[in-house]
Amino acid sequence: MDTGSHLPKTGMIGELSETRYWIYLLLLPSLVIILLVIAYPTIYGMAISFREMRLTRPGLNGWVGFKHYLVMIDDPVFWVALKNTVLWVTFAVVLELGLGFIAATALNRNVPGTGIFAVLILVPYFLPNVVAGHMWALLLDPRLGVINDILVRIGILNSYKAWFADPNTALAATIFVEAWHGFPFFALLLLAGLKGIPQDLYKAAAVDGAGPIAEFRLITVPMLKSVIAAAVILRVISLVNSPDLLLILTGGGPGDATQVLSLYAFQTAYKDFNFGYASALSVVMFVILMVFAYAYIRLSKIGRE
Amino acid sequence: MATLSLQNVQKSYGGLQVLHGIDVELEDGGFLVLLGPSGCGKSTLLNLIAGLDDISAGDIRIDGRSVVELAPKDRNIAMVFQSYALYPTMTVERNIGFGLEMRGINGIERSAAVKKAADLLQISHLLDRRPANLSGGQRQRVAMGRAIVRNPDLFLFDEPLSNLDAKLRAEMRTEIKRLHGRLGTSVVYVTHDQIEAMTLGTKVAVMKGGYIQQFADPQTIYEKPANMFVAGFIGSPPMNFVTGTLTSDGRLARFEAPGVRVEAPMSSGEIFRAKAAVLGIRPEELKIADVTGSMLTGTIDVIEPTGPDTIVTVRVGDQAVVARLPSRFSSKAGDGVYLRAELAGLSLFDAVTEMRIQL
Amino acid sequence: MQLNRRELMAGATAMALASQMGTARAAGAINYWHHFASQSEMEGLAKIISLFQAKYPGTKVTQEGIPNSEYMAKVSSAVVAGGKPDTGMVITERFADLVAMNGLVDLSARVKAWPGKSNFPDNRWKGLSQDGKIYAVPAFTFVDWMYYRADYFEQAGLSGPPKNFDEFVQAARKLTDPSKGRYAFSMRGGAGAFKYVIDVMEAFGSPIVKDGKPAIDRAAAIEAVTFYSDLFVKEKVVPPSAPNDSYRQIMEAFRTGQTAMVWHHTGSLSEISGALKQGTQFQTAPMPAGPRAQIARVAYAGNGVMKEDNIEDAWQWVSFWGEPEAAIALLEATGYFPASTAALQDPRLTSNKIYDAAVKTLDFGRLPNTFVGAAGWSENVVNPAFQSVLTGQSKPTDAVDRMIKGLDAAMR
Repeated sequence: MDTGSHLPKTGMIGELSETRYWIYLLLLPSLVIILLVIAYPTIYGMAISFREMRLTRPGLNGWVGFKHYLVMIDDPVFWVALKNTVLWVTFAVVLELGLGFIAATALNRNVPGTGIFAVLILVPYFLPNVVAGHMWALLLDPRLGVINDILVRIGILNSYKAWFADPNTALAATIFVEAWHGFPFFALLLLAGLKGIPQDLYKAAAVDGAGPIAEFRLITVPMLKSVIAAAVILRVISLVNSPDLLLILTGGGPGDATQVLSLYAFQTAYKDFNFGYASALSVVMFVILMVFAYAYIRLSKIGRE
Repeated sequence: MATLSLQNVQKSYGGLQVLHGIDVELEDGGFLVLLGPSGCGKSTLLNLIAGLDDISAGDIRIDGRSVVELAPKDRNIAMVFQSYALYPTMTVERNIGFGLEMRGINGIERSAAVKKAADLLQISHLLDRRPANLSGGQRQRVAMGRAIVRNPDLFLFDEPLSNLDAKLRAEMRTEIKRLHGRLGTSVVYVTHDQIEAMTLGTKVAVMKGGYIQQFADPQTIYEKPANMFVAGFIGSPPMNFVTGTLTSDGRLARFEAPGVRVEAPMSSGEIFRAKAAVLGIRPEELKIADVTGSMLTGTIDVIEPTGPDTIVTVRVGDQAVVARLPSRFSSKAGDGVYLRAELAGLSLFDAVTEMRIQL
Repeated sequence: MQLNRRELMAGATAMALASQMGTARAAGAINYWHHFASQSEMEGLAKIISLFQAKYPGTKVTQEGIPNSEYMAKVSSAVVAGGKPDTGMVITERFADLVAMNGLVDLSARVKAWPGKSNFPDNRWKGLSQDGKIYAVPAFTFVDWMYYRADYFEQAGLSGPPKNFDEFVQAARKLTDPSKGRYAFSMRGGAGAFKYVIDVMEAFGSPIVKDGKPAIDRAAAIEAVTFYSDLFVKEKVVPPSAPNDSYRQIMEAFRTGQTAMVWHHTGSLSEISGALKQGTQFQTAPMPAGPRAQIARVAYAGNGVMKEDNIEDAWQWVSFWGEPEAAIALLEATGYFPASTAALQDPRLTSNKIYDAAVKTLDFGRLPNTFVGAAGWSENVVNPAFQSVLTGQSKPTDAVDRMIKGLDAAMR
């Protein structure tokens, strides 16, 4: 800034703002914050996964290399949790996408009076996980649950069922609750996407003689492709990472029937105080998510156009 | 090829009536332009003809057959949209052939039809591309290809040129005219552009507020506008409106306003006593005159040379009149000027009803 | 609470920053972390704070409630990143972990000099001491006992509560009638299930930890798990929802009349009294005895000092909880048993027959197991292992083997 050194101070800033360094200067504060709150903890967390770090055993601290990862290979709970994570996330996302699509299509019709439904449909998503969890724990309660009462009355069940107590239904029941809680996320994004599809396309299809299925397959889905891809990735990340709903509904039980990786990592860190192993579990989750996101984006080809 | 007949076509949304009894007849091979400002109901009418929306009352007949109960695909029409509405995931070839595909036409026959349409529109080299990789003009041609490949009874165009730049628009306008001449298929064409209406239409329906203001051939619409709305909508620069009074004894009519005096023989025999009236004069009808033959007397306010013509704004009394005069024009602002026009090029309107007064 | 992996890591950093600001606290002001949650508990706490404030006007106490299930997560984050409170609630089960992570300050010298010490017999200090050092002052006690439906027992022709496991099973069979939706016993199979699994194992003669080493007697433990899980699997005297039933569910089942017996401690007396009539509808009894031992826990909850910064004020606060006036204030609000013998003489306790079973239990009751890693092993190993027996996914033998293996890993 030699040329500006003789200028008054405001002039220097004015001059600086003309150069290409200005952009970097403006980016600097956010870059520092990102490094501080994201990069540092992430790298630190990865580093912990190669160390022994048990709060209740301060004496054991030290580098252990890949020990935690080797232990993981022989840890049956890890494999169960991995399997459950895949099941839980896959079914929840598929259900949420389906329900979200139905809701978005209905709301997109612009039928008078549906404005209130738009708000009502969003309500589940506004509920914090903890509140939603406790609410459904009560609704599905084996003694007081309204759902059980309804199912018995309409003759689907003979007696009240303890949905979360049976390993055959526990995971499905939690997926159901999660689907209820998460579908508005898809409804919202898909509705925005649907609004962006030109009506002319549907008119053209009607004139060309395409039926509803052809319209859905050839217009709606392709036009929503990038919205769907983005929504699915966001939802998968949040489902893989959030143990709270399962923590409240089942705590991973019965047995390990609903144990997932995020919950297992959480419990390892805050019940066992074994931060090293918990970090290793988190790193594995991180890697799985990265691979998933990469593969998914490649497969859905959203970067292409 | 077919005739189109709209009989008392009405459309309401809830309590809001947007089309009030539209009656239109289009001859076989004709080119009907629905012209009007946005919100006049012209696109709604086109959607009703296509079957994309349900008619509230009246009848629509294509080739004498009522189509109101038929789905769009069964009306044997083809439509071109303002946004082109090309299917984004399909190649140009499949886009064009899609209507045939949906009708179960086999691949070989389809390819041949697509090829023929593409050749006609000079887009054969684009068949493997996707819409995202085409220019605006190319998309327009693909959209037209999609329409003509089906060989329908009726083409429906919904403002097909308004997304193009001026040069392309003029080019495509000619193209459409050429195609129409070649294929001879009846067309209904929606636009708000009066040039398109004048150049393309064999019949023009000028619409406003859900009513047809005038339905006639372009020449009549231009020369004998049915009311002040039509008169003002067609022509550029627009028709001059001079307010004044109309007096007649049944044989001779006289229009007067400060600086204006026009006399014309009349055949209707009607008697007017200083009736409030509006004189309509197209700018291109005005000529420089001398004192004896003049109709308007005023002073030159603004002179705008455009090249071939010079647009001159003349102050006549307290009203402004625009004249399109030859480029070799020697006067300057502030000069006095006398103007006249052929009587056949003048229109008179009732100042209250704004309807044409037939002398 | 939205917990994810990144927050788990970011939390530590953020708390470190926050704690630096938090330590700039004025002298004469201390903060206190606890896991009281119910309205009655909060009333009792408010009463104690106002009593304390009246006695020590110079010290201001700021209380911060943390849900019980997250208490250790919050404390351990604070220990890792700094930002510990001045004082905090300590229950016996968590004591060893808290000491191991350097969460508590040694209070031995102050306790020895404290006049109130004489109100607490040695066993009160045992659960809050390690290697001869005292880390917390006892405040109140949770005494394990059994609640039973006196009316159901009478209908079933049972003369009194079961005194041992045999009588327990006999009574349970008579009290169960699934057609009426009635079951004998509210078994805790969900969160917290480990507590009674461990108790039954000890009742069958298997210790958990001896001299700081894992000491599960495999045969006895298998017998115990078989007996206890059979109540659900074979005898079916337990509601079918048991594998997911936690505190709320077992209490609900008892209060709503679905079950005739529930094992818990004195802390839930006021809740049950709110739904059922003492004496006629429900009664209390000591825990039934197992074949080798009668197991009931007497857990002393106390308060410890977590950092040295304001130790004088902090000590005044934690020792005040041991004074009879504070203990009685809490008893009045919540019904929680005092830890001090002085407060135990209070007529409100001695004159109410419902407390007889608890007073009796004080004679033979044991401290909960406290060893480093107890919480993690109990919740992350014992719970799922036992649940999988209940749900038929594994056999008692497998479950016990998993528990033994998990305990070895936790203590290694």
